[in-house]
Amino acid sequence: MAELIRLENLWKIYPLGPGVTALQDISLQVEQGQYIAIMGPSGSGKSTMLNLLGCLDRPTRGQYWLCGQNVAGMSENELSDVRSRRIGFVFQSFNLIASSSIMENIEVPMFYRGIPRRRRHVRCRKLAEMVGLGDRLHHRPAELSGGQQQRVAIARALANEPTMIVADEPTGNLDSQTAAEILDLMDDLHRRGRSIVMVTHEADIGRRADRVVMLRDGRIASDTFNGDTHRGNP
Amino acid sequence: MTATHKILDVLRLAVRSLRAHLVRSILTSLGIIFGVCGVIAMLGITEGASYQSQLYLRELGSDKIIIRSVNPPEEDKASESRRGPNVYGLNADDVARLQSNIPDVVRCVTLHQSKKYLSFGTKRQTVSVFGTGPELGLVARIRMAAGRFLTVSDMVIEPVPKAACVMPASLARRVFGYLDPIGQTVLIGAEPFHVVGILAQVPQAVEAGMGGRDECVFVPDTVRKRRLGKFTLLRAKGGFQFERVDVSQIILQMKDEEAVSVGAGIARSLLSRTHDKADYLVKVPMELLAQKRKQTRLWAIVLLVIAGISLVVGGIGIMNIMLASVTERTREIGVRRALGAKQADIAVQFLVESVALTIVGGLLGIAVGLLGPWAVDRAGVLPFETIITPWAIVVPFLMAVAVGLVSGLYPALRAAKLDPIEALRHE
Repeated sequence: MAELIRLENLWKIYPLGPGVTALQDISLQVEQGQYIAIMGPSGSGKSTMLNLLGCLDRPTRGQYWLCGQNVAGMSENELSDVRSRRIGFVFQSFNLIASSSIMENIEVPMFYRGIPRRRRHVRCRKLAEMVGLGDRLHHRPAELSGGQQQRVAIARALANEPTMIVADEPTGNLDSQTAAEILDLMDDLHRRGRSIVMVTHEADIGRRADRVVMLRDGRIASDTFNGDTHRGNP
Repeated sequence: MTATHKILDVLRLAVRSLRAHLVRSILTSLGIIFGVCGVIAMLGITEGASYQSQLYLRELGSDKIIIRSVNPPEEDKASESRRGPNVYGLNADDVARLQSNIPDVVRCVTLHQSKKYLSFGTKRQTVSVFGTGPELGLVARIRMAAGRFLTVSDMVIEPVPKAACVMPASLARRVFGYLDPIGQTVLIGAEPFHVVGILAQVPQAVEAGMGGRDECVFVPDTVRKRRLGKFTLLRAKGGFQFERVDVSQIILQMKDEEAVSVGAGIARSLLSRTHDKADYLVKVPMELLAQKRKQTRLWAIVLLVIAGISLVVGGIGIMNIMLASVTERTREIGVRRALGAKQADIAVQFLVESVALTIVGGLLGIAVGLLGPWAVDRAGVLPFETIITPWAIVVPFLMAVAVGLVSGLYPALRAAKLDPIEALRHE
């Protein structure tokens, strides 16, 4: 399988006072189509890791190869472009734009990709139907339940056919039954070949992933593979 | 995807977010509305005023010097005896001196004005009788509604006790009603005159003074001297007073505008030497025109300053609201950045929003600003019509748009510079 992510000796140090080291010497390789969960206690560097993998932030030291492209040295503009083409974000608090309709929310990534309006609308409809909200396109986010809002967010994340989905505790704000539905949807996406990186602190969510990377104090504490159908790198 | 598509998309986004805060948007653009509307209204009024005065002065003619007798102020007369006729103003000697000393005089016309009764049948009314000559028709812009103006042959005093007279159409209508005025005989004082011509209008160059320009009758000055006399009986405080003015008005037509300024100077110094009372007035339309132009320019500067202040205040309001909007939508900015928006996309979005605010304000300002002069015209408050030139609309509007750009720039840059991670964490 083709390589999706390769981290080489990645460091992230925040230049506050003496400098807070959030990530130390991380090396990791992820193949396309993998579903990987990043876990660890708070303060272990999960969020920093997610921001780096999602190309929202740049490492202090080290290399980050995303689909063969070195992202570590990219400019702000180039990073925006990579996010637009390769990454679909799903957040814990959904982060839908409250004043816009569901349709308008889903089309945001396509808007910045420069896709014409008519094609955006066609795709919006298809995505909304896929997450089971085809009849809610003209509603406001506030008129939807939490689970439905997260479905909209997933539809939005898929708008530009990203290489991977980066999800930050996507079920953190949902009750367990709704959470299970969202996770089922993620599983479904994974089965269709989508790569997923998910940050979570719940072990039973981690069990749905192919692979669990445990972080502790900014280092990889363990890297385990679930089942035997997937082979990871040693 | 074409650039127009992208522009339309961004505009749609801006309109949507402004509509989300409709009241706030309108309140914010109020400063711009007032600024634009004030400028348009004031420009319309001043443009109308300056057009009116230029029209008036052009009618007078820039090649003329007009010298008029005026009743001197009371304190100047105090030394004289109050009995006997009040004698003041210009006389034949003045006319001769002016004509022989001022170079490049093309024509010189004098007018003698007196108050008389004009009667026709049972109708009787006071009129200003102007004794003058046919040259007035050449010097002033005279438009005849019917008949002819005074001619050289009218000046000859014939034994036949019937002389020519000319009056404006407005007076003719009042005196003769539906009769054809040409050929009718009227009495001025006790003397018969027959009407030879009707003026469409009394020319601006004739200073009608009290009574207005509707109640004038023009007669040959020679006939006036012989038959109507030199004195005018006036009703004064506590009785009657005789007044004697030899020449009420002199109109000098000059060769060119340079001759006008030279001639005006000579006329002033000549008259000041022979008159020790301020019983005359030298009026130069060209000078008045220049003065009016200067005045108009001053007005324009004052207006520009006022407009500038209101637009700056409006701009500050817009910057303020845009900054608030950036803070309020920090999280949205973070989301948009995470979903692929570049810094430039965010900057453009906020800039377009602030310009859209001022465009809406500018358009509303134009609407209200056009309504103002229209209402003023309808109400007839001003003695002239307001004039709205295309520039008076375009310039304030462009100024408003520029204000939107300038005051939106800082908030837009601030929004663009936000760190996406920080912005996403913002509550």
